[in-house]
Amino acid sequence: MKLEVKGIRKSFGGKEVLHGIDLHVENGRALGLLGRNGAGKTTTIRILMDVFHADSGEILLDGRKFVPAKHRIGYLPEERGLYPKRKVIDQMVYLACLRGMGAIEARESARKWLARLEVAEYETRKLETLSKGNQQKVQLAATLVSNPEIVILDEPFSGLDPVNSQILKEVVNELIAEDRLVIFSSHQMSYVEEFCDEIAIINQGEVVLDGRLKEIKKEYGSNRLVLAAENCSLEELADRVKREWAELAVVADRKREFLILELIEGVDRRMLMAALAGSDVEVERFGSYEPSLNDIFVKKVGEEE
Amino acid sequence: MNRFLVVLKYELKEYFTNKVFMGLTIALALFGAAALFLPRFVDMSGFTGVKTVGGADDADEDQGEKDIFLYVDQVGAVRAEILQEMFPEVLWQAAEDADALQKAVESQEAAAGFLVTGKTEYEYFVFNKSMTDHNAAMFEQAMKLFYRMDYCRERDLDLEEISLMYDVPITVTEQILNKDSGSNYWYCYLLVIIVFMLIVYYGQMIAVSVTNEKSNRAIEVLVTSTSPNSLLFGKVIAGAIAGVFQMGVLLGVILLAYQVNREQWGGMLDMFLHIPGEVLAAFAFFGLGGYLFYAFLYGAMGALVSKTEDVSKSVSGLMVVIMLVYFFSLLQLNNVDGEVIKVLSFLPVSSYSTMFARIAMGTVAAWEIVVSFLILVLSIAGTGLLGAKLYRMGTLRYGNPIKLGAALKDIRKSN
Repeated sequence: MKLEVKGIRKSFGGKEVLHGIDLHVENGRALGLLGRNGAGKTTTIRILMDVFHADSGEILLDGRKFVPAKHRIGYLPEERGLYPKRKVIDQMVYLACLRGMGAIEARESARKWLARLEVAEYETRKLETLSKGNQQKVQLAATLVSNPEIVILDEPFSGLDPVNSQILKEVVNELIAEDRLVIFSSHQMSYVEEFCDEIAIINQGEVVLDGRLKEIKKEYGSNRLVLAAENCSLEELADRVKREWAELAVVADRKREFLILELIEGVDRRMLMAALAGSDVEVERFGSYEPSLNDIFVKKVGEEE
Repeated sequence: MNRFLVVLKYELKEYFTNKVFMGLTIALALFGAAALFLPRFVDMSGFTGVKTVGGADDADEDQGEKDIFLYVDQVGAVRAEILQEMFPEVLWQAAEDADALQKAVESQEAAAGFLVTGKTEYEYFVFNKSMTDHNAAMFEQAMKLFYRMDYCRERDLDLEEISLMYDVPITVTEQILNKDSGSNYWYCYLLVIIVFMLIVYYGQMIAVSVTNEKSNRAIEVLVTSTSPNSLLFGKVIAGAIAGVFQMGVLLGVILLAYQVNREQWGGMLDMFLHIPGEVLAAFAFFGLGGYLFYAFLYGAMGALVSKTEDVSKSVSGLMVVIMLVYFFSLLQLNNVDGEVIKVLSFLPVSSYSTMFARIAMGTVAAWEIVVSFLILVLSIAGTGLLGAKLYRMGTLRYGNPIKLGAALKDIRKSN
């Protein structure tokens, strides 16, 4: 199963907010949508879910027009909400039945997900009597109750404490392992880094970076090295790089425990290694630099602005 | 269809498991039935004119409970036995003089006093005169009779013969070939009020229920789970069923209780509660149709706002239409074959009450009923589909209420 978003454009009140979004994701993989507030992530998701209609562009599933109503989709919207005055189990069964499940299967599935998310004891309680965190878990259970083939989670970690975040992480990993197609947006880069094979960074209504995370990291880390020394501080080390090895590398960034060096064009890492070996620097750390998603995001979004 | 049934079932469950809703239905039905069974257990003969509790043996005991009326006859005109016949519910006693009569009334030992100062003059004494006090008028009749008796006696005339000549009894047999507006008017009036109350009460509930889904943000999950048509139709029809159930139970219990106790009531509530079957059928079809028509509009209006406190503002335009139709319908009940009511009986906004009134009280051809009902059914479908579009369009438009004109414009544009 392959979901493709092609050239989606959308305007509100005459102002274009999406300028041709292109994305794709396959089952058994997760696509992480990244972007600052107002970048267009939620609008993209809402167009996917047919809440909004795109002005132009198309969404395809296995090459055919994607009609959300024809598929079992678990959708967790950014604006959370269920019926506060109704019983947890009743509304979960209701939502499952609305998505095409039979009543008995829906009740079993509701109980399974409530148990999986550790809120089974609240099934006969009214939603409004639960804590915010537990309401959030019930909402997630309601998203997954229909055993969806496609799972779309808009900011799923927002409002969860570390323990509940851990449970959600496990659930998302299980969904990926079960060959579901998962799309989720988040501000928390660490989660995206953990689950997603594919990422798309959306900035001001455009995809500014997308692809396989490993390749992106590799690309952003190529020609960059990390360096730390036993016998001098990072400041002294940076100073020596500037003075003694300026023809080989420049200091691109300074982290808490190491420097990030960018090799000058035409120089390879063996030349720098040889220069270091010939000096009195006692190398503590030397190797390829793999940027974090956060670094890539800041760099990419910063560049765009 | 399947999803519509899911919504319908869920919404119905919400009504029928609501303790307030069920409690109110049962309490009102019991109260109505109890009120109609009252003459079986309490003597209401003063009101109904039918003696239902106790037998002839109680008559003597009742003597002591009768009000005392006093009179002072200064001209010898009063015949006490005739007074007693004319006022059988009271006990007549002669007072010593005018002072004694006034004191007795003041101290409320006597309910009323009559001081006869001439053959055609008297004074009426009462402590607090109620709005329904007809004692003076009755006593006046008695005085006229005494005068006529004296007049005939003095001239040697036969009062009985003269009276018979003036009040010759006429026998009339009415042959009503179509409708009897006189007897149909009041239950028509009652049923129009019932539909009006149903529309306003349940319409408001439906609108609030739709708005609640926006205010608690459940709507985005719902519209991405099934079609807006299923959601709105399920919600509105569930509200309609709940309303019909509540009103049906209430009306059914009341009509049945009245039928059981009709004799005890002396038929005095026939004008409200002895409703012919065909009128009830017309009421069921047109009343329910009108109710659904407005319920969809209420649902759509509810989708245009995102806070429940804005619902009344959103439905105010609709309320004006409903109120106008209501007053026009009641005014036109006196003229059910007029041109105005004929036109109104074909409009979906007003046919629920006007066509029903024409069927109950006027002359209406079968084709007119069919055409009016078809227009109503098509209008219900139209408002339902339009309502679902408004509901879908208003899904994620939180904040300020959306104006109906702007909403319709947006729908046209998106089409």
